[in-house]
Amino acid sequence: MKTQLEKLKQEFIKGLEEVKDTLKLEELEQRFFSRRSGELTEVMKNLKELSGEAKKEFGKLANEVKGELEEMYGKKKQELENVKSGGLADKEWIDVTEPKLPKVERGHLHPNTIIQNDLEDLFASMGFMVLDGPELESEYYSFDTLNIPATHPARDMQDTFYIKGHSNWVMRPHTSPMQVRAMQKYGAPLRMIVPGKCFRNESTDARHEHTFYQLEGMVIDKEITFAHMKGIMQAVADHLFGKGTEIRLMPKYYPFVEPGVRGEVTCFLCKGKGCRVCKNSGWLEVMPGGMTHPNVLKAGGIDPNKYQGFAFGFGLTRLVMLKYGIDDIRHLEGGDVRFLKQF
Amino acid sequence: MLISFNWLKKYVDLPDSITAEDVADRLKLSTVEVESVVFQGAHLEQVVVGEILEIKNHPNADKLHLAQVDVGEKKPRQIVFGQMVKMEVGFKVPVALAPTVLPGNKVIEKVEMRGELTEGMLCLDQEIGLLKDGVSIQFFDKKVKNGTSVVEALKLNDYILEVDNKSLSNRPDLWGHYGMAWEVAALFNKKVADLDIKEFKPGKDVKLKIKIEDTENCTRYIGAVVGGIKIEPSPKWMQDYLKACGVKAINNVVDITNFVNLELGRPSHAFDRRDIKDDTIIVRRAVEGERLTTLDGIERVLKDTMCLVCDAEKPVDLGGIMGGENSEIKPDTTEVILELANFNAANIRKTMSAFDLRTDAGVRFEKTLSPHLAELGLKRILTLMKEIIPTAHLISKVVNINNDKAEKRSIELSPEYFTKKMGVELDKKQVVKILQSLGFSVVDKKANLLVSLPLWRSVKDISIPEDLVEEIARIYGYANIPAEMPVFPTNPPELNILRKLERQMKEILSLENGYSEVYNYSFVAPEFIKRIGLSTEELIELDNPIAKDRPYLRHNLWPSLLENIETNQRQAEVLRLFEIGKVFRIEQAGMRVGENSDELLPRQDTLLCLVCAGKNIAVPFFEVGEAFKSLMAHFNAEVEYKPNEKVADAFVHVGRQALVFVNGKEVGAVAELNPMTQKNLGLEARVGILEINLDELLPVLTNEKKYVPLPQYPVVVRDIAFVVDRKITHAEIVQALTKIDPLIVSVELFDVYSGKNLGENKKSLAYHITYQSLEKTLESGEVDKVHTKLIAKLEKEFQAEVRK
Repeated sequence: MKTQLEKLKQEFIKGLEEVKDTLKLEELEQRFFSRRSGELTEVMKNLKELSGEAKKEFGKLANEVKGELEEMYGKKKQELENVKSGGLADKEWIDVTEPKLPKVERGHLHPNTIIQNDLEDLFASMGFMVLDGPELESEYYSFDTLNIPATHPARDMQDTFYIKGHSNWVMRPHTSPMQVRAMQKYGAPLRMIVPGKCFRNESTDARHEHTFYQLEGMVIDKEITFAHMKGIMQAVADHLFGKGTEIRLMPKYYPFVEPGVRGEVTCFLCKGKGCRVCKNSGWLEVMPGGMTHPNVLKAGGIDPNKYQGFAFGFGLTRLVMLKYGIDDIRHLEGGDVRFLKQF
Repeated sequence: MLISFNWLKKYVDLPDSITAEDVADRLKLSTVEVESVVFQGAHLEQVVVGEILEIKNHPNADKLHLAQVDVGEKKPRQIVFGQMVKMEVGFKVPVALAPTVLPGNKVIEKVEMRGELTEGMLCLDQEIGLLKDGVSIQFFDKKVKNGTSVVEALKLNDYILEVDNKSLSNRPDLWGHYGMAWEVAALFNKKVADLDIKEFKPGKDVKLKIKIEDTENCTRYIGAVVGGIKIEPSPKWMQDYLKACGVKAINNVVDITNFVNLELGRPSHAFDRRDIKDDTIIVRRAVEGERLTTLDGIERVLKDTMCLVCDAEKPVDLGGIMGGENSEIKPDTTEVILELANFNAANIRKTMSAFDLRTDAGVRFEKTLSPHLAELGLKRILTLMKEIIPTAHLISKVVNINNDKAEKRSIELSPEYFTKKMGVELDKKQVVKILQSLGFSVVDKKANLLVSLPLWRSVKDISIPEDLVEEIARIYGYANIPAEMPVFPTNPPELNILRKLERQMKEILSLENGYSEVYNYSFVAPEFIKRIGLSTEELIELDNPIAKDRPYLRHNLWPSLLENIETNQRQAEVLRLFEIGKVFRIEQAGMRVGENSDELLPRQDTLLCLVCAGKNIAVPFFEVGEAFKSLMAHFNAEVEYKPNEKVADAFVHVGRQALVFVNGKEVGAVAELNPMTQKNLGLEARVGILEINLDELLPVLTNEKKYVPLPQYPVVVRDIAFVVDRKITHAEIVQALTKIDPLIVSVELFDVYSGKNLGENKKSLAYHITYQSLEKTLESGEVDKVHTKLIAKLEKEFQAEVRK
């Protein structure tokens, strides 16, 4: 059978060499490939009668030969057609590796915008309002209403930017002032997020910036529990880092929540094994949160005996850096097009 | 804060199977952030006891010496050392054998120092991790064999837990091992051993007088005089605990006060009685400019807000922060006055930050300690003194001036409250058990539980039922609380239309118009503002700018985008950038400062700014102008640019500027930068700038699109070219021509040309004129008639020379 195939192949090559026009080519096709009586088809049919190893071996060989013959046939066909069109393919040959000129540059969204949009969509799909508030805020909304007393370190000049001539105005050090503004405006129940720019009086280096972005959220209703906060955090972690991301919550003190927690997720890079990004802990601290303190609800005009809820936040800037592996925070507000073009 | 594992085990009986790491892991999940657990002997494998056999001066360095040291090897090692501690032949000290790596990744190698080989290093306590700061060294007894590992010689078998201080900011009780022990006991279901506390008979020999004048900053002062003191080193067990926590052992009296500070988190102070004039203590406010030299030898100039402890004539202690040098414990001290006072937390913090000073006492006081610790602390100190200095005894009464405000140290908690808040069922028994395991006492009053704080816990930390919920939850374990999704009604959220607009604009500008988005600081530099030729007068100023060069808040976006062009102009042939962000305008009124306040914040509108510059772009005005028109086309909005007739600012190119109208409303401006300003700023190419106020734009965007039936009859397009004066505008021509006849449905400019051959001040314009009727197919004659009228109009109204 092997010799039969080899012979067939030689005859086909010989036949192909003699072909000078499409008509002849079609005849050749009929002779070898015809479904009913093609010579190759016949050989293939005979395969059925073999069995076991022999069938396997010759089947493979026959298919290889068939592939080779078809390839030769196709090339010949194309050759004949090119001749027919007067050598168009050659005359109009282009260098397909060349770019189109002049170059059209596309624009780029800032990486923070990309991540922020993504999270806004996630929360909107869960029925959260997307709010925004003043970046130059009052001390009242930034601290007083958030249960942060006048003696708290956050209120020091070295932590918060104050405005000259207006001792009760600050550049908001977090997005939390909108918790109270939103409660006052919309009351309960409430479901909202606030993405936004924040400011801290902090020296700038590769890991610290005086200007950064947060995304904060709040849910208030009659029966909103800590378990619900954990649920929302898990949903966000799944969305950001993929299904199966674990979260763990640990106590942390923030004056505007009680209990307060810091939330960690399994490191998305090493999947919890430990790497440079998570400082070998396997965990990344990305979301603080907690049950809204009764004093904050009161400041928002909501009766803490009737309603309760939670607040949570993300360092949006930190998420952007983690997501894209950005090693220097200063790039985000550096306006360097070599950086911006990467997104 | 360093926690010694051995010390913790003094109070909590943990089996050997529970390691320091296990404890750290549980604390992390339920209590505080433990940053590391370090074995005391870690990195000390190559540090041994060495005896100094010979000392010579270093031939090439005045301040260095050479020692031959017997480290238990066949030959002594030559080691170069400095002058930190005086060395003598026969001393036995810790020696690091090169090559090795000491704690803190300090690499020790065999190297030549100024031409002399050193085969190791004589180690100070700091270098082997036994001291945070300061200088001290271990001297070993003659009996200790040379070459013995220091881990063995010093019995370094402790594990040190380093706890992040920030995570302790609301838990003053955890600034001591005893408080931490209660946490560990609760987490591992163990009991806490009672503290050894004895009662002492008051003495009669000395009459201690205490007066608190500054009642605002000092609410309690307990004083007692102890006699029969003999100053000696404290016992080794105490020194070991102190060292484990990085505190230098000084003498028995000072070490006892430091020990109690690390045990109960309760600072105290001991004065040498001889230095306290008239056995009198007065707590008062400092006089502005008054001076006190503290124990660290620094003379401090005080402010009148600071609280001072004084004797009958002079200050002796910076209250709650650091003692005075003038009354410190000395080797011959025999009688001490003990101070356990309660100071105002906020004032302590203010004073420390004024001196940029953080002391072990101050960091505890600033957290608002439980006031009850003062009495407990004194009793504990007296108990330890008696144990360590058997001759010690009270020689005065315990004077207790107590103005502490009464605290509410009991809270009513209904057992169901936990479930309501946390979303997980816990029965009353479990709630009570957890609270008791943390030292709370619980009285079951049927409907509610009456929960009282253990005396070491602070009401600043626990004052409402929510605080107790946290206590129960964290010991129960946050991991044991399920993650559940809340159930909400399906009503859609209110749409934030400004955010939606911003987002649409960003996407269209970047993906369709080739503009890249930048985020700039809200702060601007006066120097740059002045170079543009703008005044800083209207700008809001920061009181405490971080970057001294950027103290102002931006009033517009475009100045920062000019900076972006400056930094990037070598990076690309054409720069197309945009930003959407808030600006700050004090001359306009914004949101309220408080809910019921009449005071208003500055207005903070959201602006959009586009800039374009490139060396091959002759008129960047058109670049930004067209990008905005194309953007607005998505909203079906009509954009008009009308030259601003008012006197323009100097930085504006007067011939290339306009106000921007959208659907008839002025919403911004577009211009090229004046080439002079451009040069001043070091910008190589012309810059087009467009800035739009989105808060103004939003109300005029209707975003309405309506279907128009497709015309049934074909259009006829005639092209026309003509020469007119260069100042005749396209807008004027379009307006005039479209009015001529209803058959003219579109007037579209397709070429502009000016050249010498046209004559000075002339330009040639070419238009496609589209004719169409809704009723029939137009015949050529009908079009000719109108087209002739159109030519006549051009010639008459604009003195156009129509090209044929």
